[in-house]
Amino acid sequence: MEMRTGISHLDEDLLFEVLKHVDARTLGLAACVSKQWWKTAKDERLWEMICTRQSASIGCGNQQLRSVVLALGGFRRLHALYLWPLLKPPPTASSSSSSSSSSTASSAVTVTSLPALPRDLILPHWGKDEVHLSLSLLSIRYYEKMNLNLNKRGR
Amino acid sequence: MKRDLQDSSSSSTGGYPMFGTGKKMMPEDSQPQQADAGVDELLAALGYKVRASEMAEVAHKLEQLEMVMGNAQEDGLLTHFATETVHYNPSDIATWLETMLSEFNAPPQPPNFPHPQPLIDNNAAAAAAADSSTITTVDFPHRSRPPHQIYDSDSDLGAMIPNEIAFGGGAESDSTVVDGREKKRIRTTTGAAAPPTAITADDSVSELTRPVVLVDSQENGIRLVHALMACAEAVQQDNLKAGEALVKQIGLLAASQAGAMRKVATYFAQALEQRIYRIYRISPSPDAFFDSTLSDLLQMHFYETCPYLKFAHFTANQAILEAFSGKSRVHVIDFSMKQGMQWPALMQALALRPGGPPSFRLTGIGPPQPDNTDALQQVGWKLAQLAETIHVEFEYRGFVASSLADLEPQLLDVRPNEAVAVNSVFELHKLLSRPGAMERVLGTVKAVRPEIVTVVEQEANHNGPVFVDRFTEALHYYSSMFDSMEGCGMTLPGSQDQVRSEMYLGRQILNVVACEGAERVERHETLAQWRARMAAAGFGPVNLGSNAFRQASMLLALFAGGDGYRVEENNGCLMLGWHTRPLIATSAWRIPKH
Repeated sequence: MEMRTGISHLDEDLLFEVLKHVDARTLGLAACVSKQWWKTAKDERLWEMICTRQSASIGCGNQQLRSVVLALGGFRRLHALYLWPLLKPPPTASSSSSSSSSSTASSAVTVTSLPALPRDLILPHWGKDEVHLSLSLLSIRYYEKMNLNLNKRGR
Repeated sequence: MKRDLQDSSSSSTGGYPMFGTGKKMMPEDSQPQQADAGVDELLAALGYKVRASEMAEVAHKLEQLEMVMGNAQEDGLLTHFATETVHYNPSDIATWLETMLSEFNAPPQPPNFPHPQPLIDNNAAAAAAADSSTITTVDFPHRSRPPHQIYDSDSDLGAMIPNEIAFGGGAESDSTVVDGREKKRIRTTTGAAAPPTAITADDSVSELTRPVVLVDSQENGIRLVHALMACAEAVQQDNLKAGEALVKQIGLLAASQAGAMRKVATYFAQALEQRIYRIYRISPSPDAFFDSTLSDLLQMHFYETCPYLKFAHFTANQAILEAFSGKSRVHVIDFSMKQGMQWPALMQALALRPGGPPSFRLTGIGPPQPDNTDALQQVGWKLAQLAETIHVEFEYRGFVASSLADLEPQLLDVRPNEAVAVNSVFELHKLLSRPGAMERVLGTVKAVRPEIVTVVEQEANHNGPVFVDRFTEALHYYSSMFDSMEGCGMTLPGSQDQVRSEMYLGRQILNVVACEGAERVERHETLAQWRARMAAAGFGPVNLGSNAFRQASMLLALFAGGDGYRVEENNGCLMLGWHTRPLIATSAWRIPKH
């Protein structure tokens, strides 16, 4: 039998250890490499690290946060649906700029933009408001999904 | 030949130049628009070849061209067109339009609305055929006839209509500038959405060797507003025949408009019609209309398509959260339970409170359901499931009440050592339809001794004693609302969500305009009025903090693109509006401790 070597055949645990240190974008990309990588990269613990590593503390304990977030859909979803979009300038349909929207959104997000650094080294930082907002939206989404499921069953 | 062209600008609130305060009377132009075979000959008589089958398309392209030319906004470009561009065979309008449009480099598509069918108005066709060579141009600056006098109930409606209506998309152009028989009206204007400014003077017209006449749908817009106002006045004066005639006219004018304008006008026209017929007592009062299940459903769509309700929930929740700080037993009394969309976020925030969540009790008040389903209980059950998932101790009770005034403080069963919050989103104004109800409810609220009372209301005065004033206010308000929904891009235009959200607002419009007395429940009042009322009842204001402001702003940025929406702070209260017009206001109150 042929022995396969190379990074794409890393041991799961080792892969996990490596992925602990990457940023969100890389983690997302890692999930696209292979089935094994996908399985590892979607681990909630990794996404929890991504979310909490660069977030302002909202005052509650890690365990408390973990139990609530996992119950409401998980960190990966929290990041993909709400934290990540809060980093980017919002998409605008009209030609008028995101500069007008950023004037209404007094955002506490600071992206350290050092043009010399490669993108992957730009560290996101979420303030308390971003975190609270994201958590609220996650809970609303969970509740809405609950509605749908119940409706389906009822009919 | 005199050709005075009016500066079609008017004051604007938000992006809505139509509803300015200028009362200029627009000229009467007859621009017959027909879709049947006869039109071929008519235009041929003027020197144009347009196949009847192509009429709609040609009209469509003309509109496109108008919009694009308006957006060009550079004199250089337009004079270039006038002098440099070579046109071939302009009498073949269809092809000529193609060349013009391609010169503009693939102009933007017009907004997604079903292109108004060229209206076949037999009267207009007949009158036009008889009078085919003239487009009457009236001196602009002064009103030739005051509105009320035109709409004399004895006058011939058939004669009125062709003079008044010019359809956006009418196809008329002429290759010669001066012709004794025919008068030309030449105008270039900016598109309906942009602030209007363009004026073309006589001299520049004579430079154009091939001038273009475009029907100004903005003129129709102003005409539409005038018709709406005239109709409201007629109704107020009990001149119902005139009102009826005007409603029909409004319908036709509305069809020539696009987007938000058309929808708003249509809803207002329907509401006026309802008002007239109720007075006439022709149709029975449609109480099924105010079916609360339907209302809840429509509100859900409204929740999804625009940020107003989300804003309301977020800001109110922030105030409640702050008021509950440090309390171990909390009780929220919700006057606007509906689907309970406000509470998951609060429960989540309580669950993540440093030190752990308090025990959370929720009392939901809702109207009776026509099909006897216990919607309130179902909502409570869902929330209980959520609470269990996030480990928050939860208790729920639902109360059915056809009016909040039916509530007794004892029923609410407030327990000792409980911090109470009372929440009302778009509910309190309904109490103003019955005398004494508001006072009773505020008394009940005081009796439960809440830590905080959160109130979210529409920021408008739709409760004035004079009908026309109410009507005008509502027209402005809902125009801004519809505008904001058009502009915000949270859903695809024309989607079911958007249509249903519009229906949600349409029902409010219907109530404000068509109903009276106890039936008229949409009695919105401004923040200033609510402040006075709450203060008179003994409540003191609670300032909403900057947390609420920041989160609200972020919410908008995330969901609505943030472009037109504005969050404003107003003496401790927060308002969400569209451009310069505030549309809803959140305020918080408590009972001052002496």
